Amino acid sequence: MLPMMLKMRVAGESGKRFSLIFPVILVWIILFALLLALLPLVLLAAILTCPWGPGFRLLAIYPLLIAVLFNLSGLHIDIQDARHELYLHFS
Amino acid sequence: MSEERKKILEMLAAGKITVEESEKLLAAISAPETETAEPGARPPFKYLRVLVEPGPGSENPERVNIRVPYKLIRAGLKWASFIPKDAQEKVNEALQEKGINFDFNRIKPEDIEELVSQLNDLTVEVEGKEKVRIFCET
Repeated sequence: MLPMMLKMRVAGESGKRFSLIFPVILVWIILFALLLALLPLVLLAAILTCPWGPGFRLLAIYPLLIAVLFNLSGLHIDIQDARHELYLHFS
Repeated sequence: MSEERKKILEMLAAGKITVEESEKLLAAISAPETETAEPGARPPFKYLRVLVEPGPGSENPERVNIRVPYKLIRAGLKWASFIPKDAQEKVNEALQEKGINFDFNRIKPEDIEELVSQLNDLTVEVEGKEKVRIFCET
């Protein structure tokens, strides 16, 4: 399932902490709109480069990208040491 | 929640056992259930976990806790087909320099699927200055 929220926490050497709960669904909406807008160009590139084939690889990006995005849910990264911290959680 | 599970969690809450011991116990009581449910065919794991904790007496307080969904690994590996041929040849050369006779170009999508599905059995435990554990979680 497509992740809806991203919990993020970053702490730097200066001791500053930055926490964010971000509705990542907004990014997906913009990204999908962008992908859709670019689709005619990608199709054109695929047709024009047909004899060599690299254009078709561009088309393959669409399903691969969607597969990655839809499976991001549950990804959890938590790295910390004495000074730094990085926490990412897609849910 | 089963009685055994409840007891283990109570022991953990009371501080009688450590988190690691409770994990092992929980895994031990859940293992026979999955084996009897589907004999022969094991379901793929849900997550690949990477845990790095400071070892005993270590002054380095680095901690890593990464959980990667199985489906994300599968989807991510499909991007391997986008690695340019030049880069694949460089990888081959580097491997051959190290004495590994392996052709990167010959890896098929079926091989990757097989490789990922076999990760079920993967458990890596390294103890030194840091304690590193890599395992699959169902």
